[in-house]
Amino acid sequence: MTESKFPNLISYKDELWLCGRCGDCSLADKTVASGRGVDHPCAIKNVLGFEAYSAKGRVMILNDLLEGKLEINQDVVDWAHACNTCKSCQETCMATADGIHMPDMVEALRKDLIVNGFTVKKHDEIENSIINEFNPYKETQDFRLKVFGDREFPPKAEVVYFTGCTSSYREKEIAVTTVELLTKLGVDYTVLQDERCCGSVLLRLGREKTFGNLTKHNIESINRTGAKTVVTACAGCYRTWKVDVVEAGYEYDFQVLHITEFLDELITKGAASFELKEKLRVTYHDPCHLGRHSEVYEAPRRVIESIENVELVEMATNKRYAHCCGSGGGVKGTYSNLANEVAGNRIREAEETGAELLLTACPFCYRGLRDGAKYIGSDIKVLDLPTFLLDAKIGKSMMKVKDEPLKLKFMEYLVAHPMIFDGLKKGAVIDYEFEDSRFHIEVIGKREVIAKPQRAENPDVELMFSPAAVETLVTFTSEDKYAEQFGKFFKEPTDSEWIRFNLRLNIVKLLMKGYRKFAQKAGLI
Amino acid sequence: MTVVGSSKNHPLYSELVSITAKERVSDNQVIISAYSKDACHLEAERPGIIVMPNNLQEVQEIVKLCARTKTPIMPAGGRSGICGACLPRVPNSVMLDMVNMKKMVSLDEKTMTVTVEAGMRWAELIHILNDKGFKLGFRGPYGGNAATIAGSVSINSMGYAASKYGPAPEGVISLEVVLPNGEIVRTGSGWNTEAQIFTRYSSFADMTGIFLGDHGTLGVKTKVTLKIYPKAEFSTYIDLGFRSLDDAMVAFEEIQRRGLTEELNCLLARESADTYFPGLLDSHPKIQATIHSVIMETDKELAERKVQIIREIGENIKGKDIGNFAAQIHWAEKFNEVQPMYNNGFWLNTCHLRPIYRLPELMERMRAIFKKYDLEKKGISWIADALAVERTYAAAWVTIFAPTRNDMELAERAWNEMLDAAMETGGCPYWSGLLWENRALEKVDDNFIQLYRTIKKAIDPDNIMAPMVFEGGY
Repeated sequence: MTESKFPNLISYKDELWLCGRCGDCSLADKTVASGRGVDHPCAIKNVLGFEAYSAKGRVMILNDLLEGKLEINQDVVDWAHACNTCKSCQETCMATADGIHMPDMVEALRKDLIVNGFTVKKHDEIENSIINEFNPYKETQDFRLKVFGDREFPPKAEVVYFTGCTSSYREKEIAVTTVELLTKLGVDYTVLQDERCCGSVLLRLGREKTFGNLTKHNIESINRTGAKTVVTACAGCYRTWKVDVVEAGYEYDFQVLHITEFLDELITKGAASFELKEKLRVTYHDPCHLGRHSEVYEAPRRVIESIENVELVEMATNKRYAHCCGSGGGVKGTYSNLANEVAGNRIREAEETGAELLLTACPFCYRGLRDGAKYIGSDIKVLDLPTFLLDAKIGKSMMKVKDEPLKLKFMEYLVAHPMIFDGLKKGAVIDYEFEDSRFHIEVIGKREVIAKPQRAENPDVELMFSPAAVETLVTFTSEDKYAEQFGKFFKEPTDSEWIRFNLRLNIVKLLMKGYRKFAQKAGLI
Repeated sequence: MTVVGSSKNHPLYSELVSITAKERVSDNQVIISAYSKDACHLEAERPGIIVMPNNLQEVQEIVKLCARTKTPIMPAGGRSGICGACLPRVPNSVMLDMVNMKKMVSLDEKTMTVTVEAGMRWAELIHILNDKGFKLGFRGPYGGNAATIAGSVSINSMGYAASKYGPAPEGVISLEVVLPNGEIVRTGSGWNTEAQIFTRYSSFADMTGIFLGDHGTLGVKTKVTLKIYPKAEFSTYIDLGFRSLDDAMVAFEEIQRRGLTEELNCLLARESADTYFPGLLDSHPKIQATIHSVIMETDKELAERKVQIIREIGENIKGKDIGNFAAQIHWAEKFNEVQPMYNNGFWLNTCHLRPIYRLPELMERMRAIFKKYDLEKKGISWIADALAVERTYAAAWVTIFAPTRNDMELAERAWNEMLDAAMETGGCPYWSGLLWENRALEKVDDNFIQLYRTIKKAIDPDNIMAPMVFEGGY
C-alpha cells in the first residue's frame, strides 16, 4: 500500500537493497588507498552534520518511506530538498557498477512528494514562471535578449550560443562576455531570438510537465538557424541537453558543446590562444553538471593551462571528487544560507591552494561561490571562465607545441597493435602517462582503437610508465610479447623500467568493460 | 545550521542542546532513521535522540546528565560495522555520534605513539602518519574509510596488517574514557600525570584491556593512543597457487609462524574465487586455493629476501608462483575491496577467529551447507576467505550474498546454519553485536561472564552504558 505512494521511487527499490551502508559516501578519505582523492564527499552532510543528509542515511530513510516506517510530512519534504544532487556520493560509491543512483532517487522522491500533494510554494512559483515566461525568474520573456543591448544576431549561423536563463537574467556578465569572446574569436554564431528555459531547474525539483514542450521548442528554434553546433556556458543547460533531453527520447542533429570544450577545440586547432600580461596562479572549480553529470573535466583545464602566464593549481578535491558549490539541486533557491555554507567550505578549499583567482564555468557556481566568499569574508576573486578569458590577449596559434617523439611513437605503436586491447568493450578509455607526456587510447570498435594526444576526460585506468619501459615496449612486433613484458614491468619493476597504474573505476565496472581479458593477457591474473 | 528541526519530544532534548548546540541534537524521526542500522541487516531499537559532541567536556556533561536521569547511552563511531554493535537495545537511548571528534591530538616521535580523538577514521590517520614518515601497526578494518579508531577498538575489529600486528586493540597503549558516572580515566602510563603515555603496562593491572572490546558498555572512549612504526618504503608481493586447500593451509601456517608478512590473505575456496577476485584463476584450472602476501620493510634487500623465502615455502609444498597482481591490488585498494562485492547482493557474514589448522573443517561444513540449500543454483554467491592474524590464527570470512530482497529468507536460513557451524567447529567471533551475541552467550563459561558483569555493575551500577548488550535477547 505504502509503495503506491511512491510511483517513481519504487523503481529504485532493488537498487536501495544493494547499498551496503559502508559509509564511504559520508566519511570516506581514499587518498591513502588508491589515489582517488575522495574526502568527505557529501558537501551538505559536511555542513549539517547528521548522517541523514549523506547518501548512506538517505538510503535508510528512503527504505523507511517505502516500507511505511516513515510517513510523508513536512520534515520529509524539507529533508528531500536539502540535497544538491551533485552526484559526489554516487561517484564515490562502489556498491554497484555505476554507484548507487542517489541523485536520481532524490529527484524521484521529489516527484512523488508532488504526487502526494506536498509541494514547496517557491517551487510552484518557479514552475509557473517557466510555464508563463519560459524562465524561472519571473522575468518577461520579451526582455531575454536585452542583456545583449543593441547587438543583433543573424538568423542563420554555424554555431548557436544557448545563453540559458541565469546568464540572461541574473549573471548577465557571463552572457555578455561570452558573446564578446565568440565575436573576438571570429566565430560564426548567433543567439536564438526565442530561446526558452532548458528545463533543468524543473527536473531537479522533480517537475516534468512542461519539459517536453520547452525541449521541442528549443530544438525547432535551433534547427531554423541551420547551426551544426550549440555552445552553452551554463553547466546546467549543458547537462540538460547532453543527458536529460536524450534520456527523455528527444533527438537532435546538432552537437552540443560546453564553451570550455568549444574553446579547447579552437586552441587545439591553433585557432585561438590566450595570454595574460602578468603571472597568475588560479584554481578551478568543477561544476557538478559539467563534471560528474557530463564527464567534462579536462577540457576546461586544458584551456586554462594553455593561457600564457597562468598556473593552474588543483584544490584538494577536484574533478570526479570535487566538492559541490552548494547551488545545485534547488538548494540555492530553497535554503540560501545552507548553499552559502557549502560554498564557503569550497572557498576555503580554494584559499588553501594559494591561488589568487577561483575560476569556474557555470553561472550557478559562479553566483554560489561569489556569495560563499562574501558569506565567509573571503577576499578570493571568483570569475567565470569566458569573463576571465576576455581580459587576456587573444590571438591565434601561439601555443608551444612540444616535441614529443616518444609519445608519438607510443601512440602510433598502440594504434597499429589493436590486439593489445582485445576484449575491451567499445568506449573503454585508458590514459597513458610518462614523464610529462600524456595521451589516451579509446576503443572505438572490435580491435579498433584511436589515440588522442591529451589526457582523457574520465579514463577507466591510468597507466604510468618509465620512459625506458616505453622504449622497450614499442620494439615488440607481437602483441602477446608486448603484453607479457607489460605484465613483467608491473610485477617485477626495476629502477629504470616500471609500470604503475590507478584504477579509476571500481572493479565491477572495469569487468563490465572487458578488462579481465586485458589483465589476463598481460599475465597479471 | 538545521534543515529538519527536532521534534523536541525526548525528555533530555533541552539539556542536551544546552550542553552542545541545537544543530547537533535531533530527535526527529527522519534524522533518527539514518541511525537505525549499521552495515548489516540486523535491527534493534532506534535511538531516542542523536547528539554529536565536539569535545571531551561535552561528552562528560552528556554522560553526567544521563547518569543523573538514568538515561541509556549508546556511543557510535562510523557505524560501518557489520554486526549491529552500535545499535541500542533499549528505547529512548541517547546515541552519541562521535564523528565530530576527529582530531589528531599528538604525535610523539620519541615514544612512537599517536593519540587521536575517538572519531578519527583509519584512512585519515594512515594518510596523516604517512605524510610524517610513520605507519600504524593494525591499519583498520576493511571498512576503514568510515570506521573510527575508537569504534574499532571497542569491538575487536580485524583487518589490514592484522597478520603481523594482530587485531585493532593490539595496537592500543592507552585510552581516555568517560566512565558512566562522568569521571574521566586515562589508562596505560596515563595514570601518572607526570609521565608521557608510552606504555600500556605499568605498576597496576591492565586497565586498558577492560575497555577494549567492551562494545561501549563500560564507558565512552574519547581518546585512543596507538603504537606507530617507521614508514616502510619497500614492498614486495607474491601470489601462490596450490592444488589443494590442505597444501595451502600448510604454507599459510608456516609463513605465519615465521612472521614474514605485513599481510597474508588466503583465498581458500576456488569456487568462490570469481566472486572475490573475478578472473584470478581462469588461467589456472588446477589451482584450488591461493595465498597472497604483502611484505613491507624499511630495507629493500630484506623485503626481497622475505618474498623469496615465502616463494620457497610455497614451492616446497608444490605451490606455484602465479605473480603478484592480486596481492598488489589487495593492498593498493585498501578499504575499497569489499564495496564492489555488494554488487552480488546484500551480504551476510560469518566473520570469526579460529586457529589456521582448523580452517579446513570449517570449509567442509560450509560447503555442505551451501550444497544443502543449493545456493549456487539459486543465484546466491559466496566467498570463503581467511586473513592470517598474528602468529597462527586467522579471521575466517565466509560470506554469502543475497541478490534481492526475495532471496533474503533463504540466504538467512543458510547463514544461520553457517553461524552455528562456525561455533561448533571451535570458532570465536571477534566482535559480538547482534550478529553473534546469542550464540556466544550459549557457549560462554559462567565464571567468565559473571566476572564481566561484576565489573560492569561496579562501574555502571545504574546500567546506563549500552544496556542489554552482552545480555542476549536480540
